Amino acid sequence: MRPIITLTIVGLIAAALLATVEDLTREPIALAKAEMKRKAIEEIFPFGIDSLKNVETPKTKFYEAYDKKGVLKGIAVESATTLGYSGKIEILLGVSPEKKIFDYKVVYHLETPGLGDKIDKPKYKEQFRGRALEGTVWKVKKDGGEIDELTAATISSRAVTDAVERGLKYINEQYPNSEGK
Amino acid sequence: MNEALNILTRGFVRENPVTKMLLGLCPVLAVTTSAVNGLGMGLATTFVLLGSNIVISLTAKVIPDTVRIPAFVLVIATFVTIVDLLIKAYSPELNQALGIFIPLIVVNCMILGRAEAFASRNGIWYSVIDAVGMGIGFTLALFVLSAFREVLGSGTIFNMPLVGEDASTILVFALPPGAFAGLGLIIAGLNALEKKKGGK
Repeated sequence: MRPIITLTIVGLIAAALLATVEDLTREPIALAKAEMKRKAIEEIFPFGIDSLKNVETPKTKFYEAYDKKGVLKGIAVESATTLGYSGKIEILLGVSPEKKIFDYKVVYHLETPGLGDKIDKPKYKEQFRGRALEGTVWKVKKDGGEIDELTAATISSRAVTDAVERGLKYINEQYPNSEGK
Repeated sequence: MNEALNILTRGFVRENPVTKMLLGLCPVLAVTTSAVNGLGMGLATTFVLLGSNIVISLTAKVIPDTVRIPAFVLVIATFVTIVDLLIKAYSPELNQALGIFIPLIVVNCMILGRAEAFASRNGIWYSVIDAVGMGIGFTLALFVLSAFREVLGSGTIFNMPLVGEDASTILVFALPPGAFAGLGLIIAGLNALEKKKGGK
């Protein structure tokens, strides 16, 4: 009988402790997540953001960045692909109101450290700057496209190319006029 | 006091949990791709070890032998979850790097090993010293291995480049086989040193 009682008490104390800590950290965790997103959005735009408007659609989320006068300076979109070497890759893609790419940031990935994770290095991302959905063959060079692949990480390169293309398509659907709105 | 010093320092090299006892190798091999990850994992593990050693040394006498292991596992799992939540709340960057490995600390047999072999048989004071010593040893081993792998595999240290971006690095050290090779080399080096010392 004693082992059962002891184990129950240990379990009860553990549960109470975890419930307390979970309660205390729930808000900071939500804040930290929002902060990370905000930082990511700031990173992909080459200008400061004065106000940000979130637009949610069933497919994805958009973030419209405005300057002080309320002029649209850029749009960020959440995009993802499942073609990664180790599954899902999520990116945040930033474009200008003319729908030309500023930059993107990988917000989630499980690619190989030292190889596939270079998809988030500025040196690789540089080649995407200024590109638009039209006028670019959205494939890596190995597959007959225009995007350089990373040595020893063709699959990751392919995946991120796919994610960027998807992001651009989302933006085209949401903002059919080339000037945004 | 001598005894305390002995308990503290033996985890550094003499009885290092990684290079001597080969315990908890799953995180050692998995997360040591960069020095930051290695240090973060080492410190998180040390914190869990400290917490579990304290609680277990205090409660070992009231917990019957038959349920000792399940009770220890429960204690350890609780501490790991607390660490996980705290990291998520206060260091999202570290969480991005270590996120999926933190829950693995639960099955780090070094922690259960210290609980079984030391904390359950000793008082709280020695158990704290043991946890600190073993934690430092574990962190040290992870740091050395991860710095080694980061320099050779990615050509950087603490994410700062050591070589030009176009320089080719020994990629295998960034991959899992490199973890095994690196650990093997470090253990071999330490053993060689020890042999030399003993031969004097």
